[in-house]
Amino acid sequence: MAERQKIDARGAFCPGPLMELIAALKLAAVGDEVDLWSSDKGSASDIPAWCAKVGHAVVESSEHDGYWSVVVRKAK
Amino acid sequence: MSVKPLYIMLCSGEHEKVQLAAMIASVAAVSDRPVEVFVTMNALLPFERGLSAEQRYQGGHFHELFMTKNVPDAIELFSQGKMLGEMKMWACSLVLDLKHWDCDTHLAEDLFDGPMGLAKFLADAESGELISI
Repeated sequence: MAERQKIDARGAFCPGPLMELIAALKLAAVGDEVDLWSSDKGSASDIPAWCAKVGHAVVESSEHDGYWSVVVRKAK
Repeated sequence: MSVKPLYIMLCSGEHEKVQLAAMIASVAAVSDRPVEVFVTMNALLPFERGLSAEQRYQGGHFHELFMTKNVPDAIELFSQGKMLGEMKMWACSLVLDLKHWDCDTHLAEDLFDGPMGLAKFLADAESGELISI
């Protein structure tokens, strides 16, 4: 059964949140999801662009009070 | 369509430029783009083994911000790029000769793939895109 884990990367600067996401995805199983929380403004555009480039899926992206939550599903 | 490798020639030891090179190299490597980094001249000095972050990095305004904010360490970023992507790092053989250094004992551990001469790096870089920092 697919799992979802949360990575709280708030306070980390570019490209820290992206690298944390990638490290988590590397250990995850195909179908698992990672919910990345980032206060880095670039993450909202960087992470979908990175997912499109390497072939993972952005499931949700939402702005909260001072941070973004981006949920990525490992697709391969 | 295969992607062109990215070749980075890092010449400056200024913290801001080492940081930028680390960001470009690591993000490109984890984005399925092969990366090779050739570190030469003053740029090799921050990679000396055993230095603290305060000793390692010198720079200006953004250097001060990097040192006081939660910005990823440049050496750590290069390491992550190697671990998570396809990336190689080469130390300039001229600088190693001048400093009487070798990769295995004088440079940051598990980071460099070996020494390389400029002619070899430039020849390899003809297969991709080269940027100099």
